[in-house]
Amino acid sequence: MSNKQEASTRSIRSWLAIRLRLGSMMFVLMIIVGGDRLQGEEPVDWETRVRPILAKYCYGCHGPQHSESMVRLDQLSGNLLEDRAAVETWHEVLNAIDAAEMPPADEPQLNETELKTVTTQLREQLKRADDATQKTTGRVVMRRLNRLEYQNTMADLLGIDMDYARDLPPDAISSDGFTNNGQSLQMSAIQLEYYLANARRALDRAIVIEDAPKVIQQEWTESNLNQWLGNAVRANRLERSQEFLATMKEDYPESGDFVIRVTLTAEIDEGQGYPLLEVSLGYRPDTQILMREFDLVEVRSTEEQTFEFRGRLEEYPLPVRGQGKYPGLVVRVRNRFDDRSPRPKEEKVDNKKFYPDEPHLASIDIKKVEFAGPVFEQWPPRSHTGILFESPLRQNDELAYATEVLGRFMNRAYRRPVSVEEVETIVRFFKRVRPDFPTFEGAMIEALSLVLIRPEFLYMMEPSGDEKRPVNQWELASRLSYFLWSTMPDSGLVELAEQQKLANPKIMVEQVQRMLEDPRSDRFFRQFSEQWLQLKNMESVSIHPKLYPDFDERLRDDMKRESISFLKEMIDKNLAPDLFLQSDFAMVNGRLASHYGLEGVIGETFQRVELPSGSYRGGLLGQASFLMANSTGADSHAIRRAVWIRDRILNDAPAPPPPDVPSLEESTPNFHELSVTQQLEIHRQKPSCANCHKNLDAWGVALENFDAVGKWRDEVRRLHRNQEVMLPVESKGELPEGIFLEDIADLQDHLLLNERDAFVQSLVVRLLTYAMGRRLERADQNAVSAISDQVLQKDLGMRDLINELVLSRPFNTK
Amino acid sequence: MARKSWHVNRRTFLRGTGVSLGLPWLECMPSVAKETSETPAVTPSRLCALYFGFGVSLPKEDSEEKQWRWFPNGEGREYELTETLMPLQRHRQQMTILGGLSHPNGRKMGAHDTGDTFLTGAFLNNKMLRNTVSLDQVAAYSSPAQTRFSSLVMSTDGGVGEPTRSSTLSYDGQGRPIPALNQPKQIFDRFFGGGDSDSIAQGRRLKSASSMLDQVLEDSRDLRRQLGVQDQEKLDEYLASVRQIEQSVERSQRWLEVPRPELTDEERDLLDLDADDEAPLMYMRTMYDLIYLAYRTDSTRVATYQITNMADCSSLAAKFPQLEGFKDSLHSLAHGWNKPGGSESLGKWDRFMAEQLSYFLDRLSTTPEGDGTLLDRTLVLYGSSNSVTHNNTNYPLVLAGGSKLGLDHGRFLKFDAKIPMANLFVTMLSQMGIPCDQFADSTGPLSELVV
Repeated sequence: MSNKQEASTRSIRSWLAIRLRLGSMMFVLMIIVGGDRLQGEEPVDWETRVRPILAKYCYGCHGPQHSESMVRLDQLSGNLLEDRAAVETWHEVLNAIDAAEMPPADEPQLNETELKTVTTQLREQLKRADDATQKTTGRVVMRRLNRLEYQNTMADLLGIDMDYARDLPPDAISSDGFTNNGQSLQMSAIQLEYYLANARRALDRAIVIEDAPKVIQQEWTESNLNQWLGNAVRANRLERSQEFLATMKEDYPESGDFVIRVTLTAEIDEGQGYPLLEVSLGYRPDTQILMREFDLVEVRSTEEQTFEFRGRLEEYPLPVRGQGKYPGLVVRVRNRFDDRSPRPKEEKVDNKKFYPDEPHLASIDIKKVEFAGPVFEQWPPRSHTGILFESPLRQNDELAYATEVLGRFMNRAYRRPVSVEEVETIVRFFKRVRPDFPTFEGAMIEALSLVLIRPEFLYMMEPSGDEKRPVNQWELASRLSYFLWSTMPDSGLVELAEQQKLANPKIMVEQVQRMLEDPRSDRFFRQFSEQWLQLKNMESVSIHPKLYPDFDERLRDDMKRESISFLKEMIDKNLAPDLFLQSDFAMVNGRLASHYGLEGVIGETFQRVELPSGSYRGGLLGQASFLMANSTGADSHAIRRAVWIRDRILNDAPAPPPPDVPSLEESTPNFHELSVTQQLEIHRQKPSCANCHKNLDAWGVALENFDAVGKWRDEVRRLHRNQEVMLPVESKGELPEGIFLEDIADLQDHLLLNERDAFVQSLVVRLLTYAMGRRLERADQNAVSAISDQVLQKDLGMRDLINELVLSRPFNTK
Repeated sequence: MARKSWHVNRRTFLRGTGVSLGLPWLECMPSVAKETSETPAVTPSRLCALYFGFGVSLPKEDSEEKQWRWFPNGEGREYELTETLMPLQRHRQQMTILGGLSHPNGRKMGAHDTGDTFLTGAFLNNKMLRNTVSLDQVAAYSSPAQTRFSSLVMSTDGGVGEPTRSSTLSYDGQGRPIPALNQPKQIFDRFFGGGDSDSIAQGRRLKSASSMLDQVLEDSRDLRRQLGVQDQEKLDEYLASVRQIEQSVERSQRWLEVPRPELTDEERDLLDLDADDEAPLMYMRTMYDLIYLAYRTDSTRVATYQITNMADCSSLAAKFPQLEGFKDSLHSLAHGWNKPGGSESLGKWDRFMAEQLSYFLDRLSTTPEGDGTLLDRTLVLYGSSNSVTHNNTNYPLVLAGGSKLGLDHGRFLKFDAKIPMANLFVTMLSQMGIPCDQFADSTGPLSELVV
C-alpha cells in the first residue's frame, strides 16, 4: 500500500470516530441547554478570516451539498465558549489539519498563510474554551487542607510532633502547577479513614491517663555495641568510614518524647569544608527501614560543643522486644562529610578492622553521647493540659466540663469562634458514646476526633451565598496564615481578629512583615518555589551516570535549595523582581559553587555570593534546578526549557503539540550529528510545526551552553551507540519580530528590556494564585494589572509586592 | 435483629450513589444480591487489572525490527510470540492475547487522556470530566463482603492525579476516583499489620466511628445551606466519602474478631517494603507481591495497579526505563518507536514489563487452591489504552488466569475494531459469577473467550 493510500485510510478512520460520537454529542447539548450558558459572541476574526478559508477548502465535502462522514463544518459554531459540543469536533479538525490528513492529498491545499490563520485561531479558541471550563467565577472554592497544611495544622493544634501526612494519598497538582488548588484537592473515603486514625493516634499521645512514666537516662563515652551492624568500624574519631554506636539492650522506653545530646570537638583545616554530623535512632531488624536519621548538622567550630536532637519515640523504628539476638535501641553517630576522593582500603591489625587516617577530611571527635526518654517538662504534659485544662467544673459536672473543653478546642480547630449550637452537636455525640467508654478521657478523645474529621476543620470554609462578599477577620487570619506559613493562625493573628483589627491595611502589612520574619515562612519559600518553578519535575529526570558521573542526590537537593534560597533572599532583602531575570549574585553552598565553577565557597550552608563578571548564574535562568528539570538526563532539552520560560516566566504557555508529532529524524541520515538548531530546522520545515516553533525554539536554544545538569559547556557531548560524539554548542536563534539571541546573555537582556512587564505580571499571577488557592480569571485581571503597575512604576521590591497582594481585592473577597 | 451483612451493604451503598442510579453497572446488581444471599459462593473468584501508559512497540510485520512487535505472529492457537512477550511463553496455556479492542469513547478522546477510562469506558472532555464506575469496583461492590477489604487500589504515583492524567485506575459508583496507594510499607501495614491487639477497645472505637459518621451526615444539611453552589459540590464530595467510609467501618466491625492473616518467613523476606520509585524493578515486584499476598490470604479479591501512566514528566514512573538501564524516558521511548532502532528500544522495555507480569503469574500459578491454583480463579487483565503512543485503538491486552472460571485460553484473538472493549468486561464479570448484561457502552459479551 502506498503512503498516500495509507494516509487516506487513516483519515477515514479518524473521521469515522466523529460520526460515532454523534450520539454522545446530543447528550452534551442537552446538558448545555439545561445548564448555565456562558455569554459571548462569535469572535469577529472567526467570521471574517476563518470562515472564508473553510468555505473555500472544506465546505465542498463538509457543507450543504455533501456531509462527508456526517461532518458539516458550515453549521458548526465557531464560538466554542457558547457551544461546547463543537469543541471536540474542532479539536478533531485541528488534528486532521495538523497531521496533513485534511484536505485530502488530491484536493487543493491551504497555502501557508491560510494554514496559519486557521490553526492559530482554532488553537486560541480551544484554549479559551478550556480556560472557561476551569472557571470558578472568581470564587475561592471551599478548599481542603493539603498534606502539608494538614500536617502543620495538626501539629500546631495538638502540640504533638508526628508524621500526620504519612498515610494520606498524594495531593493532585492542578494543571497550572499548584498543590493548594481547591478545585483539584479532592476528598475520598480512604483519606477520611486516615484522618480519623491520625486524630486518634495523636490524641492518644496528647492526652494521658497513666501516671508520670519513669525516665531512662543513659550516657556513653565510647561505642558499646559489638555484635550486629558488623561492618561498621567503631570509633570516637569519626571520618567517613567510622561510626559511634551506642545501644540500650533491655532498658529503653518505647513511647514519649526523647532527647539525644552529642558532645564533640572537631578538627577542621582551612578550606577543607565542615564535618557533617548525622545522628540516627532505631534498629528495627525485621523491616527494611532500620533507623531514622535526623537532619544533618554542619559543625562549623572546633570548640567542644553539645548538639541536641529531639523526637517522639513512636515515630522511630523501634526494636521488637523479646528478640534477644538483636541489638536493642541504638543511637548511631556518623560524620557524613565526604570530599569524594577515593576511599582508602580497610586494614586489619590484631584482627581488628580500621581505616587509615585521612587528614584531608574534616573530622569529629565524640566526647559523650547521652539519651533520655521519655522527657517532659510537666506531668500531665502541656499537650494534655492544653485540652483538658483545670476547671471548677471538672470534678462536679462532667457534661458541663466536656462542653467547656469542646468549645475551646473547636474555636482553635475551626479557626474562628464557634456557636453554641455547633458545640452542642459534638456534645450530643459525646453523650451518645460516653457510656461505652470506661474513662472520661477515652470518650473525650472520640469527641475531639469527631471535630478533627469535620469539614470545618479539614477545609478552609468561607460560607457565603452566591454573592461576592468581603472576607471577615477570621477568614483573613486563615488566608494570611495558610499563605505564608501553611498552617493555622497563631495567637498573634487570632488576637487581632478578635479585636477586629486585622483588616486594617497598616496592621495587615505589619503582620505580613512579622510572618515573613518568622521561620515558618520557610514553608512558603519552599512551597511557592517548588510549585511556581515546577521543581518537582527534577525528581522525574534520571541523570545519565556515564555522562555525568559526578552527579548525585545531594547535588540534586542543592539545586533545589538554591532556587528556594534565592526566593527567600529576594523577599528578605526586598529586592526588585527584575533580579529573577538577571542578578549579580547567586545563592550557593560549597558543592553547588564548585559545580558552577565558582571559587571560595565551602560548607553546606547556602550563602549569597557576588558573581564575577561574565557569570550567568545570577537569576532563574542560570539555575541548575530549572536547567536540569528540563533536560533529558543525558542532554539539554531546548524545547522543554523554552516551554518552561514561556509558561513559568511569561505566563504565556504555548499550545501543546498536536497528537502524533511527526518524529524529528525520519529519513534524515546522521541525525545524531546535527546540532539542536539543525534538528529543529528540519522540524520547522513542516508548516504545521513551524507556526508554533517560530516563537518557541530560540527561547531554549539560547541556553544550549548548559548541559543536562546545568553545567557550562562549550561542546555538546552525545552518546551514539555507546560512542561519545562531540559537537560545537550552537546557541543562536531568532525570535519573531527579528530579535536575534546569541546566547543566554542576549536572552537575559531581551527579557529585561522587552519582557519585564510580562514577567512581573506573570509573577503576580502565580503569587496570587498560590495565595488564594484557586486559578485566576478575567475578573482578577484588574487586580493583577494594578499590582503589576505599582511594582513597575515605583520600582517596588518583592516584599512590597507581597504587601500589595494581600491588600488587593481578590485576596480580601470571597 | 441480625441483618444479613449483604443487605446492610447494599442499603448503605445505594444511599451513597444518590442520583447516579442510572449507571449501567447497577443492572448487574439485583440478580447478584438474590443469588448470593441464597447461595453464598463456595470458592472465590478474583480480579486484577494492570495498566501501563503510552502503548507498545508495533513495527510493521515486514520490518527489520519485527521481532519487537508486541502482538504475536499468526492467530488462534497457532500463534507465535515475538521477543517482546516471550517471557510469557510458560503461561501460554493460562492466557489469551487480545487484539483489536478499544473503548469507543476513548477513540474520541485526547491521546494522552485515556488512562482514566481504561477500566470505565467513559467519555471525558473538558466539559465533562466526571468518570463512571470502573470494572474492578463493580466486582468489589457486587461480591458479598467475604474479605476484610473490598479492593486494593495501587499505582506508582499514588493518589488520584488530575482528570485525564489520573494516577488511579479505580472509580467508585459515582465515578469519583479512588486514591491509589503507592507506599509498599503502608499497604503492608494496612493489609497484614498487627492492628489493635485489644479487640474490645477496637470494637468500642468502631462503634463510636459509626456514630461519628451518622452525626456528620445528620447536621450537614444546615451547613450545606450556608454555602454557594461550588462549595456545595465540595461538601457533597466530602459527604459521599463519609457514606463510603461507613461501609468500611461496618466491614471492619464484622472482621473484628478475625485475626490478621499470617505470612510465612519466605513471604516476608521477599518483600522490599522500602522500595520506591528510585528502584523500579524492586518496586514493581514488591507491588506484585503485595497483590499476590492479598489474594493468597484472601484479604481482598479485587486489585488494580497502574504501573505507569501518561502524565509524562510529572509522573514518578517517567524515568523507570532509564533507572533500569534503558536508553530513554518512558515518553521518549514511546514516541521513538518508529524511528530507526526505536522499535527495539521500546520493545525491550515492553519485554521487561512482560517479565514482571510473568513473575506475578508465576506466583499465582504455583500456589495451590482447591483442585487448582490461585491463578485458576483469578482474572488478570494487563494492558494499555494506546496501541502505539497516541493511538487510542487496538489496545495491547493480555487476559490471564481463570481457567476454572470457564476461560478458554491459549490463543491470540483478533477482534473487529468496532467491538467495544466493555464487551470484555461483561464477559469477565459474568465468568466471575456477577451476571451482567451491560457495562458502559458494551454491545454484548465476548463469547469467544469462554469454553
